[in-house]
Amino acid sequence: MTELKQFKLPDVGEGLTEADIVKWHVRPGDKVVVNQIIVEIETAKAMVELPSPFEGVVAGLLVGEGETADVGTPIISVDVSGGSGEMTGAPADTERLPRAVSPAERAGGSGSAGADIEDLVPSTPAQAAAKPGVQAGPTPKQQRQPVLVGYGVKLGRTTRRSRKPGAAGSGSIQVPPPPGARPPATAADAPAAAADARVTVLAKPPVRKLARELGVDLAPIEGTGPSGSITRADVRAAAARRAAPGLVAAAPRLAAAIAGAAAGPREERVGVRGVRKHTARAVAASAFTAPHVTEFLQLDMTATMEASQRVRDLPEFKGVRVSPLLFVAKALLLAVARNPMINSSWDDAADEIVVKRYVNLGIAAATGRGLIVPNIKDAHALSLPALARALSGLAETARAGKTTLTDLQGGTITISNVGVFGVDSGTPILTPGEAAILAFGQVREMPWVHEAELAVRKVCTLALSFDHRIVDGDLGSAVLRDVGAMLEDPVRMLAWA
Amino acid sequence: MTVDMDGAAAAAPDLPSVDGLAGAAQELVQLLTPEGERAEHPRYSLELSADEIRALYRDLVLVRRIDSEAGALQRQGELGIWASLLGQEAAQVGSGRALGPRDMAFPTYREHGVAWCRGLDPMKLLELFRGVSHGGWDPAAHNFHLYSIVIGSQALHATGYAMGIQRDGETGEDGAAAIVYFGDGATSQGDVNESFIWASVFNAPVVFFCQNNQWAISEPLEKQSRIPLYQRARGFGFPGIRVDGNDVLACLAVTRAALQAAREGQGPTLIEAYTYRMGAHTTSDDPTRYRLAADLEAWKLKDPIERVKAYLIRGAMTSASFFEGIEKEAAELGTQIRRACLSMPDPRPAQIFEHVYAEPHPLMAAEREQFTAYLSSFANEEGAR
Amino acid sequence: MTTLAMSKALNEGLRRALERDQKVLLMGEDVGKLGGVFRVTDGLQKDFGESRVIDTPLGESGIIGTAIGLALRGYRPVCEIQFDGFVFPAFNQIASQLAQMQLRSLGHVSLPIVIRIPFGGGIGAVEHHSESPEAYFAHRAGLRVVACSNPADAFTMIQQAVARTDPVIFFEPKRRYWDRGEVDLALDPGDAYPLDRAKIIVAGTDVTVLAYGPMVKTSLEAAAAAQEDGRSIEVIDLRSLSPFDAETVCAAVERTGRCVVVHEAPVFAGLGAEIAARVTEQCFYHLEAPVMRVGGFSTPYPPSRLEDHYLPDLDRILDAVDRTFGY
Repeated sequence: MTELKQFKLPDVGEGLTEADIVKWHVRPGDKVVVNQIIVEIETAKAMVELPSPFEGVVAGLLVGEGETADVGTPIISVDVSGGSGEMTGAPADTERLPRAVSPAERAGGSGSAGADIEDLVPSTPAQAAAKPGVQAGPTPKQQRQPVLVGYGVKLGRTTRRSRKPGAAGSGSIQVPPPPGARPPATAADAPAAAADARVTVLAKPPVRKLARELGVDLAPIEGTGPSGSITRADVRAAAARRAAPGLVAAAPRLAAAIAGAAAGPREERVGVRGVRKHTARAVAASAFTAPHVTEFLQLDMTATMEASQRVRDLPEFKGVRVSPLLFVAKALLLAVARNPMINSSWDDAADEIVVKRYVNLGIAAATGRGLIVPNIKDAHALSLPALARALSGLAETARAGKTTLTDLQGGTITISNVGVFGVDSGTPILTPGEAAILAFGQVREMPWVHEAELAVRKVCTLALSFDHRIVDGDLGSAVLRDVGAMLEDPVRMLAWA
Repeated sequence: MTVDMDGAAAAAPDLPSVDGLAGAAQELVQLLTPEGERAEHPRYSLELSADEIRALYRDLVLVRRIDSEAGALQRQGELGIWASLLGQEAAQVGSGRALGPRDMAFPTYREHGVAWCRGLDPMKLLELFRGVSHGGWDPAAHNFHLYSIVIGSQALHATGYAMGIQRDGETGEDGAAAIVYFGDGATSQGDVNESFIWASVFNAPVVFFCQNNQWAISEPLEKQSRIPLYQRARGFGFPGIRVDGNDVLACLAVTRAALQAAREGQGPTLIEAYTYRMGAHTTSDDPTRYRLAADLEAWKLKDPIERVKAYLIRGAMTSASFFEGIEKEAAELGTQIRRACLSMPDPRPAQIFEHVYAEPHPLMAAEREQFTAYLSSFANEEGAR
Repeated sequence: MTTLAMSKALNEGLRRALERDQKVLLMGEDVGKLGGVFRVTDGLQKDFGESRVIDTPLGESGIIGTAIGLALRGYRPVCEIQFDGFVFPAFNQIASQLAQMQLRSLGHVSLPIVIRIPFGGGIGAVEHHSESPEAYFAHRAGLRVVACSNPADAFTMIQQAVARTDPVIFFEPKRRYWDRGEVDLALDPGDAYPLDRAKIIVAGTDVTVLAYGPMVKTSLEAAAAAQEDGRSIEVIDLRSLSPFDAETVCAAVERTGRCVVVHEAPVFAGLGAEIAARVTEQCFYHLEAPVMRVGGFSTPYPPSRLEDHYLPDLDRILDAVDRTFGY
């Protein structure tokens, strides 16, 4: 049975893509051994003799004398099935070595070319395929253009290799992958010269330009682009939103994602960056370091609600927003004055509790970018109107995204108004570095025992979480009771002021 | 064996006229004529046993076979290029067999015969010409440095190495020497001339072995020098000697003497092995464009292997079976080389990034990672070729 | 701590290297008896001998080529190229041989050679004595390229370079050779700041200025001047040009949002171009402005009467800083 091998025209390094077959030294049916000279070819006016890579019997000459072949085209097929192996080569005799044939020799050449022509297989592979026992070789996909040194230049191609899905653009050379946005609060390792650190804004140059043109501040915008960067769409949306400010901006992207989830893929990945990332870290640090205990007190807020209305009308509070939060804040401040230990922090390194003689009152604020806790400095020293102004100023600043690093640092105790979310209570997590946090829920009408009779009263629940390393049940309960007492009867604040 | 370096300089002929460059009429150390007859030389003698002569013959034949097999493989598309040493076997085997175990050889890119003598696997050479590596062998393993393709650059390396030998105190009869190979063209390179300066000024134990094969691609010797090359050494202050480069016995004797002189602290020698490049510069070259077939024919009559064969037969030092045995061994070696070449694996793509630096390098690590990810992003995982 | 000029700090560092390892050699023109034209190798031949501190013939290619041979034999040569403009005859030995031997030998051969090159201008010299050729070598894979800027770094970096297995091109800012600084001569180079890391010399918030060699001092002067304008300029000494410490640099630029690269070499195709491209790619979303480059003009180094106009100075650096704020 035959086993045919084809010898493809090799790159002999003469700088052409093709060669002419000048003279075959063998015919079909001839035996050949490895390295036996089988053909003379001409490339760029130089003649080269090619040695056979195979041992066997010549099955067919695939390109005729005088024909031109591209490099890589099969020029001869040899039946190697009968041989002892293709490896034993021609003897190392200088006469047999491949050599360049001089033009003079060629000119006086043997002239036997003509006699062989009718024995040759037709030159085109297609025609050759028609002959039994001869296979036409496939056109090589990638050819090389021979040059003076080496294998030669690869010819170009015009089609791309197909990529796996999702693989686009992975070829760029970069050293570390670009990190996500840096949240403002962790600029602690930044140079100390930062008096008021900027919130790092990620936006590429054309987007910044657009923002400037539209007069949009990039800082409060939550970016929906790659790496949390701000896109043109984000900028335009912010410009539109400016016309309709909200109390608490819901997370628009998450809402949209959830809305779109029904129609789209079954999962959506929301990047954790910026404020959200910082908050996550902070609450995790707090929750898993300080042993939290939460105590609850449900109370009758009716008196406070009425007081709130009356205070609102006082001239000292003209133009200032007065809400139950103001009273809760004042009550807590007074409770702290009565129970100073609640306003402290745990110094692990020194094994000390640091009791603060001032109150920087933190108010947890939900913003479009996530939860932040800015604080009012020295709140204990503020008059009620000043406290009211500070509270509303804090909320406005947070909504505008202009809260500074200083605002976020140095808090000593926190209030979290979970009532705005429409719930009664919660188990708040301490702001890191503090010993207590007071959450108060929504005020709603509930059946209550008032003056020994059932009545409908405005009721709300307070929840005080505290760090059990610093605050024991005694102290925590005392604080909670105090606050509750003051809210049930605001006049008590006068007694304890 | 006598050595007389001063004598070599003193016996040098007067500076010839410009016409007097060609031919072997110049003074030339020869111990074996082209017809295979033993010759005597006043300053160089050689006593070799029949075994040793037969061993040299075997070296010559096998070296030629390696060379021709590689040339054929190139013509079959298995090597990108090959630089043939055809005609220069005696210069390389003669000098190669003169080297001691502690001597270090610095080749160009054609010293396959010296590589053979040093025991380097010929497949490492084919690896280079096939494009699998740039050489990749350990110079210390066979005291044979990597091939240098920049003409003449290795002459400085050899000289520096020899200066290292001096600092190691490995001088004296049992000491070490360096030998550097280069061609006639290289003698025009600045680095070769600088190495002559350094070697002479520091008296470094280095032998400069120039195979003058008459051609630097298409440039004949006249383009490189107005005077015989061996006389150049005098200008730098050390001895130069010309030897019949097709005479394995003479090459052996002269190289031995030069190496011994170097080891013993007498400094460098320039040996000009007068030979002929019977093949093309490389497989990409076409010598018919710049030289006459008649010159080739004249040099065929001085074939280095034929004369040794004639000498063995004339001296009744062999039997017919010896020559048959050598032919058979050569054929088998050819087969082995062919088989090994055809089955040589291609390097992995990631190898691009290996061995660029000795120590870890962040850019290498990053680029390799990126490239690997890039390659695996394609639907079918073939290599980039 | 001792107050030393940079040239003396290098001298001390080389002395330590010679003491530490018998295989360390110094070689170059005039390095032995004369002690080097900048006296950096002063006294070393007297103490370590002619065999270890070698006065070579006049040929840069010869110096590097024979150094390669010595390294093949197991030595650790520290070569001196007398002036930056004279390195070019050695370029083949450096680029084709020194840089590639590791790959050529598939890791069997390492060439632990240091090539010291005084570089940069500002010394009122004639042609070829004020060049900044670092980009040619940074572009050649297989070489490490570093530049010291002050005496303390010079003392430790030269020792660290000698201890490396890879070849190191060691650039010394020649106009800073006489600048004095505090050097801890007892500091072991193994404990010193790593050779291939950049260092924040002065922290700042408004813009990060990257410099190396002679421009570090100029950048610090610019930072001091800028403080009067209320600008906070951060200055980073790159120290290692190849490999480049992208981690330190990008972390800094992400903080400040602005970056200016300064070198004496011409801006066109200078090292600043690579740094700017890399920083832009990795810090894109953090950038308030494009990365600016300050450097020489696209001309050969001018006659010394013009060099003050050619070389970047405090005002040119601050001009670039100002331009980054124009975006």
